[in-house]
Amino acid sequence: MSAEDDDMSLFTRIKQRHYGLYQSIRRGVGRFADQRVGVLGLLILIGLIVTALAAPFLAPHSLDWRAPEVLDKGGNADLPDDCSTADNPLDCRAQKESSGKTISHPAPPKFGDFTGDPYFAPLGTDHRGSDVLSRLIYGSQTALYIGLAAGLLSSLVGVPLGLISGYYGDTWIDEFIQRVIDLMFGLPFLPLVIVLVAANGITTTNIIIAIVIKSWLNNAIVIRGETLSLKERSYVEAAKVSGASDTRIVFRHIFPNVLPLAFIYLAQDSAIAVLTQANLAFLGLADFTNVSWGTMLNWIQTTGYVYDAWWWLLPPGLMITALAASFYFVGYSLEDVMNPQTSA
Amino acid sequence: MVETRLSFKYVAKRAAVSIFIIWALLTLLFLLLKAMPGDIADILLNPQLDQESIEALRRRYGLNQPLWKQYLRWVFNYATFDFGYSLNSTDKVVTIIAIRLPRTLVLFGTAFLLQYTVGIIAGIHFGWNRGTKTDKGGFLTGLTLYSVPFFWIGWMLLLVFAHGQFAFDVLPLGHMTTAFQSEFSALNLVTDVMYHLVLPAGSLLIVGWAGAMLVMRTSMQEVVDAPYIETARAKGLPPSVVKYKHGARNALIPVATQAIIGIAFIIDGSVIVETVFSWPGIGALLVSAILERNFPVALAAFFFLGVLVVVMRFLTDVAYTFLDPRIKFGESS
Repeated sequence: MSAEDDDMSLFTRIKQRHYGLYQSIRRGVGRFADQRVGVLGLLILIGLIVTALAAPFLAPHSLDWRAPEVLDKGGNADLPDDCSTADNPLDCRAQKESSGKTISHPAPPKFGDFTGDPYFAPLGTDHRGSDVLSRLIYGSQTALYIGLAAGLLSSLVGVPLGLISGYYGDTWIDEFIQRVIDLMFGLPFLPLVIVLVAANGITTTNIIIAIVIKSWLNNAIVIRGETLSLKERSYVEAAKVSGASDTRIVFRHIFPNVLPLAFIYLAQDSAIAVLTQANLAFLGLADFTNVSWGTMLNWIQTTGYVYDAWWWLLPPGLMITALAASFYFVGYSLEDVMNPQTSA
Repeated sequence: MVETRLSFKYVAKRAAVSIFIIWALLTLLFLLLKAMPGDIADILLNPQLDQESIEALRRRYGLNQPLWKQYLRWVFNYATFDFGYSLNSTDKVVTIIAIRLPRTLVLFGTAFLLQYTVGIIAGIHFGWNRGTKTDKGGFLTGLTLYSVPFFWIGWMLLLVFAHGQFAFDVLPLGHMTTAFQSEFSALNLVTDVMYHLVLPAGSLLIVGWAGAMLVMRTSMQEVVDAPYIETARAKGLPPSVVKYKHGARNALIPVATQAIIGIAFIIDGSVIVETVFSWPGIGALLVSAILERNFPVALAAFFFLGVLVVVMRFLTDVAYTFLDPRIKFGESS
């Protein structure tokens, strides 16, 4: 090994070895960076992923925390915060009420610091006295999990079927897959998900599966169309002539070229999954053991505080919108990157 | 004069496909019903019933017959609009559906027309002026609104316009008509329904217009530089004629394709919006029937929403012939 080779960093060597790939990725990233909407979406998404991962450190309270019902205990300093655990709940409650300083939940934001002021809940509390901000932060875990899992699963089903359908275009395999897709398109999306979830049991896994049953269709249709045109290219013919098997041609030569398209639809499917989960939760079809933004909104409805607790109503809706929008932003910007002739 | 080469053969073929899809929908519903734990006898069951009565009940509902016979009866019953009885009232399911279907169609039709009018006009405008501030701002706004959950935007509208907190207590909180509608004259009834329609249709419009806009915008961007636009300009035609008659008309075709997805999107939205605004339609019926485990009603409501999609798809396919004279119809496609 010459001294010159040693001087080069690992990165430089990789760069030289895969020069073509490096250049095309750099061009793609450069074009994506021109799309301000896409960069904005990516930043929101990264922010939410960090929030979800660091939830225990970011959240001001644990999920079990309940705001105290009594602000000033006066002479009864040994009165418990939560009367339901007291030896004599009725007596405890009566004493609290007589002190005149009780607080009813949901309560608006309070920025107390435990030295005279009541408690710290920057986005207020819900009907049980738990901190809205903490639930919001933990809720990002559920939302991202459902969005990404449903998006990835749709791609895992839709992309291979689209590749197969396109590569064997105009054969019975293609015909069969196309008829199945046609049929599935006839089913209304949300009603189907509602019926499936209600019939199979309301769990997060069932919700994801029900979403995927419908959302792989778009992936398959688009990937099939792209494969139909790619398989006529000369490099596919060259691979065929040199004796490559069908599997090799599809996965080694065609698959990498449909990958960017697959990412666009992955992002869109994720956005749809996030919104669908919120809609299901609104209807009461959500796993209530998980903290999620949709569940928070379902609770504000069932407890009847929709028009009275803005601190509880606004944040979950804005978070759902932000997450779904970030997926859409990334997806549609990728689309513009892929079709440079139509981008501004 | 709009010329079309709408052939009988094409329409017949599309109709046959539609019927096939409806049949598949029926089969799927049957499988779903059979896959559910327990059967109707368990739902209606009184624990004090003895084995004999249970058997009698099962015989009455035909549950002791072989599966293929049950399936044939299921298809025959649905094909003749016999959906059985609701589990929590004495009404026939078909009566409940017949009352609710027109109400859903009113909301659905209004939302569909509004979304596509606003979406297409915005798309034409943004696509024609691509890269400008209007285009970028409109694109960002559209995508953001597209990500708002239907029920949440509904609550926001109610909060502002119906709940009196912002001094705009002008629109009703929900329902389709004011109470005692039977005493209204026909004209009053129409105005009253329209008055109640503003917020539900508005919610669907605010979220959904971006769907048509996104497709129209992309399609319009591709048309802007086309040679025939250049020609039209060179002939000295007024800019608005070039934009709408030459540009927009040709860019409209992909929007018709997107309408198929758009229809499904509006149906999803209707289910939610009907629930938020207590609009007495099929979507709200489906939700309440599911939550009450009233399966005859739930499955029939789901079936009708599916039929609605199939019918709209059929109409879109036919509308295609008016839009794109290049597509060959009737031949094997």
